Amino acid sequence: MNDIIKHSVRFLLLTIIQSFVLNQLEIGLGIQLLIYPLFVFLLPFELGVIPMLVLSFTMGIIIDSISNTYGLHASSLTLFAYLRPVIFKTFSPREGYDVLKEPNIFEMGNRWFIYTFGILLFIHHFWFFLLEMFRIDAIFFILQKTLLSFPISFAFCILIQMLIVNKPKSR
Amino acid sequence: MFMRNLIAFLRRFQVFLIFMLLQIFALSTYFTFLNFPRSQYMTSASYVSGKMLNARNEVTKYVNLVKTSNILQKQNKYLREKLPMSYIRMENGWVKINDTLFHQQYEYIPGKVINSTVTRANNFFTLNIGWAQGVKRGMGVFSDKGVVGIIHISSEHFSVVKSVLTEDINIDVQIEPIGLFGLLKWDGRDPRRGQISGISNDLNIKRWSKVVTRSGSGIFPYGIPVGKVEKLKTVEGKPIWDVIIRYSEDFRTLQRVYVVRNLLLEEQQKLESLIPEDEENE
Repeated sequence: MNDIIKHSVRFLLLTIIQSFVLNQLEIGLGIQLLIYPLFVFLLPFELGVIPMLVLSFTMGIIIDSISNTYGLHASSLTLFAYLRPVIFKTFSPREGYDVLKEPNIFEMGNRWFIYTFGILLFIHHFWFFLLEMFRIDAIFFILQKTLLSFPISFAFCILIQMLIVNKPKSR
Repeated sequence: MFMRNLIAFLRRFQVFLIFMLLQIFALSTYFTFLNFPRSQYMTSASYVSGKMLNARNEVTKYVNLVKTSNILQKQNKYLREKLPMSYIRMENGWVKINDTLFHQQYEYIPGKVINSTVTRANNFFTLNIGWAQGVKRGMGVFSDKGVVGIIHISSEHFSVVKSVLTEDINIDVQIEPIGLFGLLKWDGRDPRRGQISGISNDLNIKRWSKVVTRSGSGIFPYGIPVGKVEKLKTVEGKPIWDVIIRYSEDFRTLQRVYVVRNLLLEEQQKLESLIPEDEENE
């Protein structure tokens, strides 16, 4: 029960921040901050892929309907959710995942988080900007957007985790 | 046997199938929406999104308040100077008033931009007026400084504008002193610059000559500023220029707009539909 409330609050918070604040910012050089994949990443380990796909699709459509992108966020977030179990499997610790833990930076460690979330977020960003421009002659601009936006979004996601994730008590 | 195999197949690939289903749905709406908006419910013209954006705008509108009111004041000054009381009579005598000489052709519906983006490949703005105020799909939108776009879809109290920062906006424009016309495009990168492509390079176009709307399709009245010619780019191997223009409106701080209602549009369209279709196809 507690978990459901926690994840719902994150869902709302990230949706609102993304659609009302970050999607309105103009930084220049084609940089755009995308932090909403963090919600899907922080879902519990034992959650099935299908509920995760449905959740991510819903979140994407809500962001789309507010920022007039008609399916762009939904498509890239479903891709993120679909690839999450694949990447988690590749980087799983030797004894498997502890289902009591949450996949955040504090409980799983910096190294694990940087690899898994980094790869997923990079694919997400690339897919997002690829679909957005969708022209072969703009490939360098797509790469520029991806390479510049990705580190900033990543840093932002770490910062936001400090705000919304409870740190485990030091052992 | 076949059914069992089918069910086993579906169970095995159910995750992938659901993923594909969601992707196809998202991508098909994304790629068809640009040209064929089917419903208002997935846009910011819907009731809930509209209300929320309105509330947000209540907070953020103060950021540009000073600039907006300065522009309004300038506009006021200009219009006030045109009032009869600002003119001195040069000649005494009877004045013939003939009311049938002028007919109102365009009406303007004032509105406010409550949501906008400028960094996307296709940018849409949300207005706080809808069909209850008379806004319909296909009407032109402009601001005090220049052209903004065309209404894409409207609900009762809100509407979404396909802005000139959209790839296939295709507004009729003309380059002022020589009267050359073309279609306005945008390359998806710089919110300050647009382009007119396919201009024959034997024409002498001066830098910083004005670009204004041409009332060809009846969407905009003649002469609303679009921008100024900034650069002429040669296209390799072809005798044409891409004309880069700098927009006169800064879309990043856009707030007040007007929607154009052409009272004679129906008449124009009726007349133009009488032009026979391409005869070569027959």
